Amino acid sequence: MSERPVNLPFTAVVGMDDCKKALECALVSPHVKTVLIRGGTGAAKTVLSRSLSGISGKKVVNCPPNIGEEELFGGLDVEATVSEGRPVMRKGLLSRADGNILYVDDIDLMERSVLSGLLTATIDRDVVVERGPISSRYRVDTVLVATINPMDSDLSDHMLDRFDLCAYASDEDSREVLKRLYDFEMSPESLESRFSEEQEAEMKKIDRAARILPIVEMSDELLNVISELCAKVGAGIRGDLAMVNCSKCLAALNGRDTVTKKDVEEAAILCLPHRRDPTVQPPEPPQPPEEPDGQDEDGEDTEEPPDNNDNDRKDDGQEEQDGQDEEESRNDDEPLSMEDLEDMLFEIGRQFRVIDYLGSRTKVPSRTKTRKGRRAMAVSADGTGRYARSREPLGRTSDIAFDATVRAAAPYQNVRHSDQVSIVIEKRDIREKVRERRSGCTIMFLVDASGSLGVRKRMSTVKGAIMSMLRDSYVRRDRIGLSMFRRDSCEVILPPTKSVEYSYRCLEELPTGGKTPLGEALLRTEEYMRSYARCHVGENCFIVLVTDGRANVPLEEGRNANDEVQKLAEDLDSPHIGWIVVDAGAGFPHFDNAEKLAEKLEARYFRLEDLDADRFAESIRNVIDG
Amino acid sequence: MSDVPAVFPFTEIIGQEDMKRALLLNVIDPGIGGVLIKGEKGTAKSTTVRSLDRVLPTRTVVDGCPFRCEYGRKDRYCPYCLEKLEKGEELRPVECRMKVVDLPLSATEDRVSGTLDLEHVLKTGTKRFEPGVLAAANGNILYVDEVNLLDDHLVDLLLDSAAMGVNYVEREGVSFSHPAKFVLIGTMNPEEGDLRPQLLDRFGLSLDIKGEKDVKKRAAIVKKRVEYDMDPEAFIARRVKDLESVTETIVKGKRLLPEVVADDSVIDMVVSVTTHFGIDGHRADITLLKAAKANAALEGRCTVTKDDIIATAELVLSHRLRRRPFEESGLDREELEQCLKDL
Repeated sequence: MSERPVNLPFTAVVGMDDCKKALECALVSPHVKTVLIRGGTGAAKTVLSRSLSGISGKKVVNCPPNIGEEELFGGLDVEATVSEGRPVMRKGLLSRADGNILYVDDIDLMERSVLSGLLTATIDRDVVVERGPISSRYRVDTVLVATINPMDSDLSDHMLDRFDLCAYASDEDSREVLKRLYDFEMSPESLESRFSEEQEAEMKKIDRAARILPIVEMSDELLNVISELCAKVGAGIRGDLAMVNCSKCLAALNGRDTVTKKDVEEAAILCLPHRRDPTVQPPEPPQPPEEPDGQDEDGEDTEEPPDNNDNDRKDDGQEEQDGQDEEESRNDDEPLSMEDLEDMLFEIGRQFRVIDYLGSRTKVPSRTKTRKGRRAMAVSADGTGRYARSREPLGRTSDIAFDATVRAAAPYQNVRHSDQVSIVIEKRDIREKVRERRSGCTIMFLVDASGSLGVRKRMSTVKGAIMSMLRDSYVRRDRIGLSMFRRDSCEVILPPTKSVEYSYRCLEELPTGGKTPLGEALLRTEEYMRSYARCHVGENCFIVLVTDGRANVPLEEGRNANDEVQKLAEDLDSPHIGWIVVDAGAGFPHFDNAEKLAEKLEARYFRLEDLDADRFAESIRNVIDG
Repeated sequence: MSDVPAVFPFTEIIGQEDMKRALLLNVIDPGIGGVLIKGEKGTAKSTTVRSLDRVLPTRTVVDGCPFRCEYGRKDRYCPYCLEKLEKGEELRPVECRMKVVDLPLSATEDRVSGTLDLEHVLKTGTKRFEPGVLAAANGNILYVDEVNLLDDHLVDLLLDSAAMGVNYVEREGVSFSHPAKFVLIGTMNPEEGDLRPQLLDRFGLSLDIKGEKDVKKRAAIVKKRVEYDMDPEAFIARRVKDLESVTETIVKGKRLLPEVVADDSVIDMVVSVTTHFGIDGHRADITLLKAAKANAALEGRCTVTKDDIIATAELVLSHRLRRRPFEESGLDREELEQCLKDL
């Protein structure tokens, strides 16, 4: 290869074993179509995804998350249409990904209806386009690889369910990673040649696996185990199917034609964490907890995987565990007992806990850094919305208003000569559609649930207000969410939703008590809403902060929490988000922290005292409606 | 056509009997007004609706009509067919299979309603109507996946045509109307948000489906699906007989439907059920009666019985119940049976 390599080879990416496994499965099996990679910024998600082209011979087609429907699925080719005199379709990005890999970074930023269409198209291999004068249906065969930063807003369960596999980007030894990147930076060629053998071996492995896959068998017992497991963790049938497909891939990747227990266990880690019902606890260890006693099979089952796991997480587990696999498969000839099943459930549950732990760790913000500089409002030009009127295009346009264009061209027809078409349209005639869309409001309640006085009443008032606002949100098209902070953290209890029932379920039990990490709450929620505003263009976003304004957990140890919060409030710069501060302070002495905070946030301010839920809702409405 | 992807066979879907019944009732009597399927993830909602396509019967339409006007129904002819009749031309019948027409969320308003025929304008300089998705849906099933995510302006369009059975187009200088009678089927995940009440009201039937919890059944479902995925065409080929027999049942049911009689006792039952559950308006009564008749026809009977009402009441009433907030949705079957028993 004479071209300078632009990406690290797949095999040169340090660690990330789960992600690699998931991506290998997607290359091996035609039934693994969608892979989600979760991980914080700089976890090499993108590097790894791009490196797929080196081992698959497929192109990795990049798809920006803010892509419009027309660009993604296809639409009208205006130039060709005008010159040929008939509607000509311009292919979308998706058709370029046909036979290749489609890569979407930060997929949660994608408009929900676009994402839903993309997932359906990828999974069904079928795209239906009904746009303007274009009506078309075409087949597309692609693998969707998407990344998501768990710190940003999350996807709904239904969207997540449609990802066959979901892998967590593990934390790797940064020294090792840096060294590798440095080597690559200095001389990509030499790094590439250093890994050429491994790349070769990887390609062979995938190739072999793809050939074995059709003959891989799975016992009915294991199938039952899978169904049992999926039912236990609250996953839908897609979970079962993904488990079957993934276990088979893993067997094939290990050169086997029979699925073993270990394959199923590994598949569970890729297939189930994102499908889990969070209210269902991971399976508990079997009772009584088994000692690793004389029985050597049991000893292997309970001891070995933890070792592998630790390798994966901490060190860069480079070496394959082929030897172990063979040992495992020997044991697997024996029929599964009930105990085995329980062991497996326990083992998988244990690994879920590891994932939960990793997940909660990545949720801690890196440092107090407020981003300066204003982000310009993105103009929505995705062709949705009502065609209200036409105008001369601002720059290039694909949303042509044909009536207006033809009208504009009409007066000149006598002087424009043509013998092929009956109407000659020149560039200056083109008019584009101005589309209007009813925009709604998103209101995020951010509630102090720490153990200060009157917290119960506060919570019930807020809950009542949310329900009351949601009930008339049919008419108003508003979405309402709730975040709470207590103890040492802040979490989104209810992602912005319009659904009364869904929110009721989420709000049923609201824990209270503990300390007040107000600073973190401000930061996290502002970040959440900012990313939310980015993918819901045109939506008016508000944060309703319900607090007495007194913090006692600083972001940085040793600082005064209250000063820090005030400073933070001053620094926060969120042009697309409106703040409302509701002072929850009650009784004497009355502190003015919340009032000051409101001032710093340029927020509207009022006091919660003596407001009931309905009046609370009404007050907020009034503020929002200006 | 080979570019239309294969669909999992209707007859191989395990469980979900209510959903299948609701769909078949609508095929037998499109007047029931469609069905809304709500359910958690992975409950074969879309699979079942798509699989319906393969078992749909044929219908007799006017040959060459872009809207496939129902042959012999002069009152519902489109302007083109009427024009031909006026000119004294003869309309010929042709058999045409009913199908499931997809309405993707990404559809634009002009494409859905139909719009200016661009090619015609560019070539001749004169205006002509280009039929859209609603035209394609005429006489067919219009399917909207994730119907709760559909943009408001598209919902408005659907409501208008669903209400009148006619699509009136006034846009981009085109003024046109054509028949657009279709069975609206929507699927949705309630977590993504609720449906607009007006749209909810349009659906004749609705049901809430739950995931399969039984491990044995789950394993069976997965096995079938894996077998299907290995070789969809062969899998379907082995089930052709089964699929044909479903079509036959539908055809028989459709033929039988005009002969199904509901005597006064049935009317009494319908009214007392809707009264018992406190449902306003007559739409529920009418729909329940239609659904019960269709159910009798589906089961090959000419008389409506109490069982037909029991089988369909939940489908008709569950989304019309005046529900106090946060109550479990759905109809209490025991209460229903008790109410009918008391008659």
